[in-house]
This record gives sequence, C-alpha cells and structure tokens, in this order.
Amino acid sequence: MNLGTRKLLDRSFTALGFGSIVIMGLALLVVLAPIASKGIGAIVFQGTIEHRKMLLSEFGRGDAEKISKEEASAKEARQKVFDMLATFDQELEQMDFDRQSKYRNSYEQVKSALRGLYGPLPGDTEPALMRFQYGQTRWDKAEEKLHELLYEQKWDYSNPDVIAKPYDVSRAAEFEGTSLVKLFSYVEENLDRMMLPEWTIYWGFITDSSIDAHFFGGIWPEIQGTIFLAIGAMLFAFPLGVIAAIYFTEYARDGFLTSMLRSANSTLAGVPSIVFGLFGLAFFINTMHVSHSKSVLAGSLTLAIMVLPTIIRAAEEAILAVPKTYKEASLSLGSTKWNTIVTVILPAALPGILTGGVISLGRAAGETAPIIFTAAVSVGTAIGIGDVLSSPTPALSWNIYNLASEHEAAAEIRHVQYGMVLSLVTIVLLLNLSAIILRARISKKLKG
Amino acid sequence: MNGEVTSNQARSSAFVVSEKKRKIQKFKQKTGEGALLLIASFVAIVVLFIFLFVARDAIPFFQIRGFGEFFGSSNWYPADDPPEFGALAIIYGSVMVTAGSALLAVPMGVIASICLSDILPFSVRQYVKPVIEMLAAIPSVAFGFFALVVFAPLLQNHGGPILMWTWWIVAAPFLVIAVIVAAELLTSSITSESAKRNASIATGMVLGAISLGFLYFVGNQLQHITIMSGTNALNVSIILSFMALPTIVSVSEDALQAVGRELREGSYALGATRAETIVKTILPAASSGILAAVILGIMRALGETMVVWMASGNSSAIPDPFYNYLDSVRTLTATIAGDMGEADQVTGSARFHVLFAMGLLLLIVSFVSNLISERIVVRQRKILSGQ
Repeated sequence: MNLGTRKLLDRSFTALGFGSIVIMGLALLVVLAPIASKGIGAIVFQGTIEHRKMLLSEFGRGDAEKISKEEASAKEARQKVFDMLATFDQELEQMDFDRQSKYRNSYEQVKSALRGLYGPLPGDTEPALMRFQYGQTRWDKAEEKLHELLYEQKWDYSNPDVIAKPYDVSRAAEFEGTSLVKLFSYVEENLDRMMLPEWTIYWGFITDSSIDAHFFGGIWPEIQGTIFLAIGAMLFAFPLGVIAAIYFTEYARDGFLTSMLRSANSTLAGVPSIVFGLFGLAFFINTMHVSHSKSVLAGSLTLAIMVLPTIIRAAEEAILAVPKTYKEASLSLGSTKWNTIVTVILPAALPGILTGGVISLGRAAGETAPIIFTAAVSVGTAIGIGDVLSSPTPALSWNIYNLASEHEAAAEIRHVQYGMVLSLVTIVLLLNLSAIILRARISKKLKG
Repeated sequence: MNGEVTSNQARSSAFVVSEKKRKIQKFKQKTGEGALLLIASFVAIVVLFIFLFVARDAIPFFQIRGFGEFFGSSNWYPADDPPEFGALAIIYGSVMVTAGSALLAVPMGVIASICLSDILPFSVRQYVKPVIEMLAAIPSVAFGFFALVVFAPLLQNHGGPILMWTWWIVAAPFLVIAVIVAAELLTSSITSESAKRNASIATGMVLGAISLGFLYFVGNQLQHITIMSGTNALNVSIILSFMALPTIVSVSEDALQAVGRELREGSYALGATRAETIVKTILPAASSGILAAVILGIMRALGETMVVWMASGNSSAIPDPFYNYLDSVRTLTATIAGDMGEADQVTGSARFHVLFAMGLLLLIVSFVSNLISERIVVRQRKILSGQ
C-alpha cells in the first residue's frame, strides 16, 4: 500500500472513532430530549378553567372569586352548545327510525367528545369517577378533543397487503341538513372562550398527591417512596460497604480468603437486577418475614444488597488514593492502626467515599426490578415515616412502568408519565452530576 | 510495609506499657479485625444466600416437571389447565436481543474506547467521560419508557425509511473507503506511474458504480419493509446496546490504558500510522481485557428487565424466520417480572417455581461469565506486569 492510502485509512479510522463517540452523545441526547421537553409540559402548560376549578375544589388553591367569575363566562359560552344539543334532541325524536339510527351512533360520539371537553353535560347523572367530573384541564388535550369532535376516525381496509390506515371524516358533513351542523363551527371558533386557557406553572405536580389514578394531581407519593427506598438502602449499605472497604484495603492479606471475598464482590455486582428481586421475595419476605408482605423495609434491604459492591469498590479506590505518607506520619506519632484509620485515612478519603455513595444512591433510586416483588405498589397514598417497616409504597420507577404499560388509559395521561420520567431522571442525573463535580474537585486537590 | 509498621509499633509500646495492657490491646485488635472480617465476608454470605434461596425455590419446579419440557419445548401456557412450561422460546428471545445488542454495542464500544484512550486529547476526554457516565446512570425504566412511547411508534410508522437512511449513513462511508483501497490494491502491480493512476481511477469508477448500485438496491429493499409492531426485538436491541455501551467503553478503556507506552512508541518508531499501531499492536495486547469488557456488557444486556418488559412485545414464540428481528419476542427477565404478579398468589405451584428456575438460569449464566471475565482480567494484568 502506498503512503496516501495508509494516510486515508488512518484518517478514516480516526473518523470512525469520533463517529462512535458522537453516536454515544447523540444516544444520550435523543433519549433525554423528548423526556425533558415533554416532561416539563407536566408542570408548565396552558391550563383551562377546568384545571383551576379542580385545583380549587380538590386542593383549595386559587382565587375563588375570580374562578367563579371565569366559570360563569365559560358557562355562558358553553350554554349555546347545550342549547343546540337540546334542539337536536327534539329533532331526533321526530325523525323516522332509519334516520334516527343513522345519526344515533355518531351523535353519541359527539356527546362523549363534548363530555371530554366540558365535563358532565346538563342532564347527565353525577359521574362516580373523578376523571369524568371535570372537563379537559389542559389546552393541548382540549385541542385533541376538539379534533375528535370535528372528525370521525375511520380505517382504510381497501388494500389488504398493507396495514389499515386511519383517515378523518368531517362530522359537519355527516350531520349536513340537521340543526346540529352549526355546533361544529361554533365550538371550533369559540373553544378558547369556553375553556379559557392560561399559562400555568403547576408546582403541585411535584408536591400533590394524585387523584383518580393520576388523572389529576401530582406525583408526591411516588417521589417520597423513591426517596424512602433509596435512603433506606443507603442506611444499610453505606456503613457496611465502607467497613468492608476498610478491611479489604487495610487488613486483608493476600490469600485464598481475600481473593474469594473479592470474587464474591464482583459476582454480586454482576447479578441481574431481577434476580435480586426474586431473592428479596424468597429471603426477606417469605423466609425472614421482615414484613407481612411487600414493604419499604424489604425493598430497601434488597436495594442495599444490590448497591453494596459499588460502594465497596468506590470506597476502596478512595482509601487507596490517600497518600501513604499520611498514614505513615500518623503511625509514627504512635497512634494505633484503628485510630489512624478513623482520624486520618477516612477523613482524607471521605469525598471519594461520598462520591461512590452518591452514585449508589442514584442507582438505588432508579432501579425498578428489585422492588417489583418487594416494595412497590401501583396506586397508593404517601406513607408516613412510621409505616416504612410494614407498608409498601408507590415509587417513581415502578409507577412509570405501571402508568405507561398497565394503566387503563395510558394514552390519556402521557404528560404525567413524561413528568414522572423527567423527575426520576433529574433526581438520578443531579446525584451523578454532583458526584462528578465532587470527584473533579478531589483530583484537583490531590494534584495540588 | 504494613506489617513492618505495626510490629515496630507493637515493639515500641512494649517498652512503655505493661505486659498485661499490651495483651489487652492485642486482644482488642484481634477481635476488632475479626469483626471487620465478619462484615467484609457479609458480601460472600449474601452471594451464597442468593444462590441458596433462588435454588431452593427453583428446584421444586424441576422436581414437579423435569428438565425436558423447560428446555425442549416452546409452548409457554402457564395459566392453562393443564399448564405447559416450555421456556425454549423465552430463552431464545433472551439470546436474540442480547446478541442483537452485542452486535451493535461491541464494535461501537470498542472503537469508542480506542478513541478515548488513544485518539482524543486529554482536554476533550474530560468532557466525554461524564457523557458516558450519564448514559450509564439513566434508569432502565426511563430507557424502557423511551423505547415504548417514543421509539416504538416511530419504528412502526416510519420503519422503512428509518432503516434505509441508517443503511445509507452507515454503509456509504465504508464502501467509499473500501472502493478506494481496493482500486489501489488492484493496480499496485502496474509499474508505470501515469498508467497506474489512470488504471486506478478507472477501477475506482467501475467499483464505485457497482457499490452504488448495491447501496441503492439494499436501501430500496429496506425502504419497503413495513414493521407491523414497533415493540420488537430490533427496538429492544438498539436500546439495550445504548445501555451496554458505557460498560464496554469504560472496561475496555482500562484495558487499553494498561497497555504501556513502550508498545505504542515502538510501533510508531517502526513507521506505523496510528491506525496501524492500534489495530496491529495495541488491540492484540489488550484483547483479553476487551473480551472481559464485552462479556460484562453482554451480561448487562442479558440481565436487563425493564426495557425488554416494556418494549419487546412479550410474545413467547420463536420468530419466523429465526433471525427476524422485526418480530416480537419475550425474554427470561421480562417473564419473571411479568408473571410473578399472577403467580405469587399460588406459592408452591409449578407456576411460581418456574420463575425461580428462570432466575437460577440467569444467575448461573451471570456467575460463570463473571468468573471468566475476572480470570481474563487477572491473567492480562499478570502478563502485562510480568513482561
């Protein structure tokens, strides 16, 4: 090969390297960007009058006088729609059976779309579920409902070779020639007068409890559960891990026992997270009976075992990084070995040990699989600190799964799911970021 | 060093402190050390207990149903009457998504680690490392949510064009370089300088036309693929490869760093380019460490639960044909997580214990591969420090 080709190959190799680093950065960006942008939408959004009504009656927040004024003006705008419905009801009565059945189905869809917008229509019985007692609380969702009202979705099965495609049919055309036809253009033009959208910053999303399976309200029980579980895990794992690290670095002699213990440590680090869950169920709950069924305690213990190897490794590295001269100086002054460890080595290694602890805290907060069988429930209220020994808790990681995959109306509450994911990712990344900054400081300090 | 210091200290204290006190102190030290050892061996006890308790609940399954059905059949109907517990399709699903993610993550991770250790200047490296750490820190359920809510609809609605563009972006640069190199190699025997250049341009154009046709043909084929369901093995493999990347990159970077400067400098001194140095000298020297990194990365993908549970489609059948990554699959981890909710009401039934059998299988695989990777690392360290 001549020099030109070799140079070309060398350059393309470099490009390949840069390319894969860029792909990694892009992967991070691609995953985080939608989560961040839509997650913020759970807190900052255009809230409708229904949102303010809900806040006032469920949480007692907001200016009652102003809201009742707004409600009155929204009601006035909506009244015309209700009148049109009443007129069409009468019209429908007088039609013959064939025409009635032609309209009935679509009319029911129109009504349910309107219920989605405004809440219960006049004449409806008071719905039992909270989610039906209010209309759309978010303007973006209200616009989706409007589309549902204006168009009927049909499926195109004409080509059997490809998947059926949806297409829209205008309802105004469907109801051509009846009195209802005016309703569609009226709602379309006056939607903002009926819903009164207003930019809202809803901090309650973080501090409120959820209402009716996350249709309204916030995610405080989940956040609290995550904090309880993560801190509980650290309470067990951190002291154990640091002591084990002290043993490995200061006392262990090379030999069969030490190498076996180290081997056990790396084995523990490699155990799949779901197996920890199985072990937690089989050992802590079914054998040790630390609690009657799932509990924060059992979950914390399981998580503690999971993060133990990480803590031990980080603490070991931190202790080994302490300059030998520190230790020798202390010993030469006549202090005992244990005294040296406690008063000289540990304080010097503390930032490094804390770094490992903070990263493990983030890992414990983010893990799902170990707590599925041991601590997490899907719906629940925030538990008191006294209940941690016996009762299970909702937790961010588990509830993200649950809301996204098992909730009966998962597509309706996407904003809550995004908000939860963003909260969890923020907690975990902030912890990691502080660990990174802490470590950068240490390395600066060690360099002098 | 340690021993010296302590024995010196003990001897010096013997002169000042009475014999009795010294004995007490020694006793204290011994018991303290014993207590520390006890706490340090806690980890080993936990590992032992994990094996013990998972196996204790797994063995009843094999007692009730034997091994043949579990490993030999792909009929998974645990809730039927009579139930069937053929886990072959589920094991295959695990293997499939793990292999898929390894296929994506291993080359990318190894190349990225080379770039980190040998190509990027130190100042840039400082900013890349936190990116890798953050990628490793993102909770698996967030990846799962992304796979289910963002990526799956994208694949389902625009799968063909996405595949085509990926193919073009990935394959086109490789083919361009391959064509240039091939043209140069084919014409290397011609001695006359001008004839050689003309011949190489001509071959380059012919090969270029052929490869352009090839690119277009495959791209066209890919564009017309319709993906029936976005929650499939491909989706999961891609997301899992993101998750395995940080492990592979950081462990193999350590292995590359462990290869000393001498080897690199020797190679440069012989006139090799950087790429040649890395491929012919450093990679072979670090190969065992990189292998360990690959094993750890693969284990990360195999043991992952949330992503596969949320986005693999959870259909317990072997895809048809068996390499069809656009089909839904189901993995061991997802089965354990998903079925326990229904099975833990009936502790003692085969349905409950089969999940522990799957856990035991995962545990054994992870244990063995961990041991292997650990041995590899220890051996490499010995070889590198010995020579």
